[in-house]
Amino acid sequence: QNRTLTGQVISGTGQNLSGASVRLKNNPSVGTSTDSLGNFSLTIPQSATLVVSYVGYGNQELTVRPDQTQVIVTLQAEGAQLNEVVVIGYGTANKRDLTGSIVKISGRDVADRPNSNPLASLQGKVAGLSVVNSGTPGQAPDIRIRGTVSIGAVQPLYVVDGIFQDNIDYLNPNDIESIEVLKDPSSLAIFGVRGAPGVIAVTTKRAKAGTVVVNFNASYGFKKLVDKIKLANAQQFAELFKEERANNGETADYDYGPFTGNTDWIDAVTRTGRFSNNNLSVSGSSERNRFNMGIGYLYDEGLIKHEKLDRININFSDEFKVSKAIRVGVNFNTSRQNLPFGAGWVLDAARKVMPQVSAGTNRQFVRNPYGSDSMFMDLYSLLDISLQNSGVINPLLELENTWNKFKGVEYRNVGSAFAELTFLKNFNFRSTLYGDVSNVNRRTYTPLYYAYNPRTEKAELYSQNTRFTEDDQTYRKWQQDHVLTYRKDFGDHAITATGGFTTYYFGNFNRGGTVSGTSILPIPNDPRFWYLNSGFQDPSNTSSSSSQSEYSTVSYLARALYNYKNKYFLNGSFRNDASSRIPTNNRNQQFWAVGAAWDLTKEEFMKGQDILDFLKIKGSIGVLGNQTASTLEGTALNYPFYPNLRTGQNAVFGNNVYTAADPAYIPNPNLRWETVHAKEIGVELNALRNKLHFEANYFNRTTKDLMTYVSRAALGLRDELINGGSIRNWGTEFMANYAQPLSRDLTLNLSGNLTFLRNKVLELSEELPTGVLIRGFQNNGSAEARTLPGYPIGSFFGYEVEGIYQSYADILRSPSAAAIGAYRPGDFKFRDVNGDGIISPDDRTVIGNPTPDFTYGASANLTYKGLSLLVDVQGVYGNEIFRTWGSLESPFQRVNYAADKINRWNGAGSSNWVPLVSQADRFNYNGSTFNIEDGSYFRIRNLQLGYQFARDLTQRFRISNLRIYANVQNLKTWKNNQGYTAEYGGDATAFGFDNAGGALPMVTTFGLNVTF
Amino acid sequence: CRKFLDRKPLTATLEDLNQGALEGQVLGMYTNLRTLAGFSLLPWIDFHSIRDDDAQKGSDINDGAEIVATFDRYQYSKDDWAPNTYWNDHYTMINLANNAVAAADSLKVSDAASLRNVGEACFFRAYTYFELVKNYGDVPLINFPIRNPNDGIRDRSPAARIYEFIDSNLQVAAALLPPSSASYGAGFQGRLTRGAANALWAQTHLFRRNWAQVVSLCNLVTADGYSLMPEFSDVWRESGENGPESIFEMQAYVGPGAATNSALDNGSDWGTMQQVRRNGAPVEWNLGWGWNVPTDKLETEWPANDPRKQKTILYSGQSDGGPQFGGFGATLPPYTNPSGTGGLAQRFWNKKLYTGNDPAIRQSTGFVNNAGNARWINHRILRYADVLLMLAEAQNELGNGPAAAAALEQVRKRASGGLDPATRTVVPYIAFQNQEQMRQAIKEERRWELAMEGYRFYDLVRWGDAQQVLGPLGYTSRARFYPIPQKAIDLSGGVLTQNPEW
Repeated sequence: QNRTLTGQVISGTGQNLSGASVRLKNNPSVGTSTDSLGNFSLTIPQSATLVVSYVGYGNQELTVRPDQTQVIVTLQAEGAQLNEVVVIGYGTANKRDLTGSIVKISGRDVADRPNSNPLASLQGKVAGLSVVNSGTPGQAPDIRIRGTVSIGAVQPLYVVDGIFQDNIDYLNPNDIESIEVLKDPSSLAIFGVRGAPGVIAVTTKRAKAGTVVVNFNASYGFKKLVDKIKLANAQQFAELFKEERANNGETADYDYGPFTGNTDWIDAVTRTGRFSNNNLSVSGSSERNRFNMGIGYLYDEGLIKHEKLDRININFSDEFKVSKAIRVGVNFNTSRQNLPFGAGWVLDAARKVMPQVSAGTNRQFVRNPYGSDSMFMDLYSLLDISLQNSGVINPLLELENTWNKFKGVEYRNVGSAFAELTFLKNFNFRSTLYGDVSNVNRRTYTPLYYAYNPRTEKAELYSQNTRFTEDDQTYRKWQQDHVLTYRKDFGDHAITATGGFTTYYFGNFNRGGTVSGTSILPIPNDPRFWYLNSGFQDPSNTSSSSSQSEYSTVSYLARALYNYKNKYFLNGSFRNDASSRIPTNNRNQQFWAVGAAWDLTKEEFMKGQDILDFLKIKGSIGVLGNQTASTLEGTALNYPFYPNLRTGQNAVFGNNVYTAADPAYIPNPNLRWETVHAKEIGVELNALRNKLHFEANYFNRTTKDLMTYVSRAALGLRDELINGGSIRNWGTEFMANYAQPLSRDLTLNLSGNLTFLRNKVLELSEELPTGVLIRGFQNNGSAEARTLPGYPIGSFFGYEVEGIYQSYADILRSPSAAAIGAYRPGDFKFRDVNGDGIISPDDRTVIGNPTPDFTYGASANLTYKGLSLLVDVQGVYGNEIFRTWGSLESPFQRVNYAADKINRWNGAGSSNWVPLVSQADRFNYNGSTFNIEDGSYFRIRNLQLGYQFARDLTQRFRISNLRIYANVQNLKTWKNNQGYTAEYGGDATAFGFDNAGGALPMVTTFGLNVTF
Repeated sequence: CRKFLDRKPLTATLEDLNQGALEGQVLGMYTNLRTLAGFSLLPWIDFHSIRDDDAQKGSDINDGAEIVATFDRYQYSKDDWAPNTYWNDHYTMINLANNAVAAADSLKVSDAASLRNVGEACFFRAYTYFELVKNYGDVPLINFPIRNPNDGIRDRSPAARIYEFIDSNLQVAAALLPPSSASYGAGFQGRLTRGAANALWAQTHLFRRNWAQVVSLCNLVTADGYSLMPEFSDVWRESGENGPESIFEMQAYVGPGAATNSALDNGSDWGTMQQVRRNGAPVEWNLGWGWNVPTDKLETEWPANDPRKQKTILYSGQSDGGPQFGGFGATLPPYTNPSGTGGLAQRFWNKKLYTGNDPAIRQSTGFVNNAGNARWINHRILRYADVLLMLAEAQNELGNGPAAAAALEQVRKRASGGLDPATRTVVPYIAFQNQEQMRQAIKEERRWELAMEGYRFYDLVRWGDAQQVLGPLGYTSRARFYPIPQKAIDLSGGVLTQNPEW
């Protein structure tokens, strides 16, 4: 007699395979397909052999014993990476038909990671994709695909369900179906002027064919600060400061007076943060209609006290089949984020405060600053004003009094509607209109508050004026795509041709205003009155401002995918972009790519062998564009060829103020977008009965006509945007995936990727006075990154430290360094790099490269029945970090000493590396190898233990799937530098600077997925 | 599509300003004079004042320690914020002036207002080059708009060539600028006049020892109706801004309530940087950054019976002297130690900027207590007392002793309180005895009258007295010129060469 068998079909990587076919071997008419979670239920004879198949995963036969009522079938990808459908621009394609490199990440790899920004979860997952995370909730990581292709914009283009975006901050990780990373010319040319930095295409969840599914995901966890930086304690500070004063001729003891504390200021401003992400979705489909909606709530606290992001997402999509030929649909994604109080400054401020200052409060009887009554208040302390007054503040005093006076709300409304017409059998025409009308509103109230002055033992009104500031940013993105696709097989020939027309508009409108209260009538400390017009504003003291910009592009595109006998593949694509931001004579620019691939395993000569199941070699070449225009500091220039005026430039005569006209930069009528000339050759293969999948690619990308905003301040000139120079990024990527069923219940899946990357500046325009771009930070730019021909972009530049001058005799024996400035024993001994017998600025040289030699990631996934254990590791090797704290601070501020100063030079032979303590010795404030640290690290990125409850157990509660897991992110990092982390992003020409921030937490989360 | 793609900026560009562009560009130079650090902030003070024997860095021992070595001790740094900024900002001004002159040339302007604009641009160009030639000697001469940045890469031109260029610009400026700022219409107090051009021109000749030209230019200034303020300390009061003695001032204005609304603040850190620094003193003494303060030497060597001493040096721990000495009736907290623990970190402060403690202005602007700025103070760049002393010096060098004595006496008489020679006991009349005696008297007079104003270092250099006076502080002959910033040399690819003594 027949019985019911239930089961689930999952992939070797643990993904639920929905739509997999499950049939009886001896009676193929009996069968079913799996639901969206891979579950199935089938009536079978007592014993039977099942054939389970799924596109791209081959067939698996499974003999079911009479005692089995439930089975889990693990299908190994048969070149899953080959046959899967991937998102390409303006359509989808079978990966097999493509000649480029697209990596698909399942939404599942993003959903259960404790990152409010989904991009952070991609770290270490994709060869050629560099992700440098920051610890700030919600903040996008520094993302670069296949190197630093520009000295302007290097972040990829995000394409979310077709709409072009600059970020995906607004998406709930749980709403993501998949993420595709497009890296090669053949995939990117269709994106034209946006394609050069690479594309990250995000597909959000849609209803799948099948029944109604309700899905609930929840995770909860906490974050801890690990790898704290080391600073002097109170006793060490006192010792070092006394020595510093003596070094500069002041022998009297410094009178610390009431400053007798020993505070760890990093501890004082940090905490254990909490993280939670919850998502509920409902989807269902019928023959005519597919419907999906979801709601999510995310809560993400930073390590810094009061730093918190929370976000609500709602998404909705529906597709309706009007007739056989016509389909229409809408997609809507909206979110509301409460932005975190901007606490990026807190860690840096905390490490500067000398430990003698107490982090506690002092109870004082003070007048109510808003009224006439008096009361006791607990006040945070001022710093020792005689010592720390400029550039150093008590972070708690400001943080605790102002964090809840900030209201930042971001609304994102991203939607699209499409209509699709299929006609003449092979044609499909699809028109889509997209809109993103979003708003970011930031309101900041400045309260009145006191600080306690330990020296006078009195309260001081520290913040003496009430003020309210509002900034309101609205941006509008409109996009329309009209795409005609033709698909046809002619015998051995198959072609997919696409042609399209698209326009894009971006408008950004910012308004802001500031009002002040008067001393008689302050603006109350009540959110009810935190508006520009509240009845409390001083009419003589209000101001408003705005900034606004727009740009638009109009584009034509075409693409053909062709194959002959599924053996030889050709891809070609073309796009013409006309942009409003480029002068008319260069307004239209063309981009193209061609690619070819050859599946060798389809050839006769490969038939006999059984080592390789699949072998494809491929290559592509093309020209991609980069619509970059930014200042030297990385701020986007909206009108690169118009001479915009600097704002706030006023001439004064007596008490009269007149607006002056001062161009902000030199316009350039001959600008054009920079282009990346890219090549790729690669190989993809499957071996060992498809258990091993391997890909290797070599790429070479040369950027020409670099759009360079150059500073010519030393000539007294305004900066100018020019096309000048080229950069090359080249390297090799390897990725492999190996799945081994060890027994019927035990499966091991290993994957790894490795990217070797090199970057070299080939030339910079002669128009640049020396063909060098210099970016400098800290203390008059002594921490220097140079972009100069022959070296990697953003190379660190400075002196090489040979040691420390131990004595005057040592100074006399050594080459003179007087050309740099005054020096004495205890100061750095720089190397005479050019060997001219004196040490001068000419001896500065390249002292570090912020780009790693290679980056890697690997993961192991062990599944035993319902239990799974996942380990992700990742790391980088061979880059340098420029540490700016603890050495190059401005001499106008007295900061706490970094712990390495304990080993400073204080007499002949005492140190040959750490100079004497003295802010007056400006000689040591030149950037040098003293600041350069090894940036290599290795990290256990995720450790996850999951358990999937047996279906027969859960079905009693009408639950079709129940999984629980625990995940630890950033469990341990092995690194070699002094900072909080080894990861420091930045912009194209200045990255890898450790400015005493960026602490990356260890995050432990517990999660639950339930499907009804 | 064309319409969809034609998008101009949604704010004005130079093109949109059309007729106003030349005026707007010239106003930009006044703006930069006020806002660029090289003209009115710390770097200016470092170069002009801190380098002499009568002024020092000030502030406290912990703040800006490197400035002591760099400027008080003549260990000039080739790559530091202050000198780099000084250089860059001056070339910024030169380019703005070059562009404005070129724009006027291409428009072939002939209306009176545009011609005045040309005069103003020429003045700024001369003023800036004079600063550069004083501080660096030979510098690159950029007298054309830089269309291609490579055009701007030039080696140094001889100082004599720079002076020729200054002369040609001041000739144009003196011819085109109006006799008084009233000629611009109402609401342009302090805008450039031909008197400013002539006074500046006289200074440039003074440095070249062209005594006859100094005399004739000073006389031209006098003929335009300038006169000394009757009371010395009034020169420095808010009410003294753009007064009869004022020939040219950097104008700053801070409106009521500006402390909480930056849009109302069109001020300058010129005032802020020279106010009493609070350190450990009560919060109401948080007036500014405390830079550029008198040295012990100035205080000791200045005869106590010169009333200007009390009006120039503000003493910690003492009364500010009340209105008759330019004060407001406050008593300063005491000097405690160089860190300022528990009190002030300096014994003396620059009282010429003490209007920064005017309680009425502080109340009105809101710059009180922790918002301690003094951004409303005009920088007195050219004043008539300097013209009189230049006249005296030049007359004496030309052998016109009595004329020198007469000019000197005008300054001394005002210093004494406006008393006639016969009736006064302080700052007595100095009669001409011989050229050397008069020369010494004029040197002394410049030291006292112009103390803390940024003249002395250059005076000592041009008199040949620098080695003797500043030598004990570390001055050597090469320190008369500052080295060219390394960054400028780097950016020129080596075309620009270093000052040979550095």
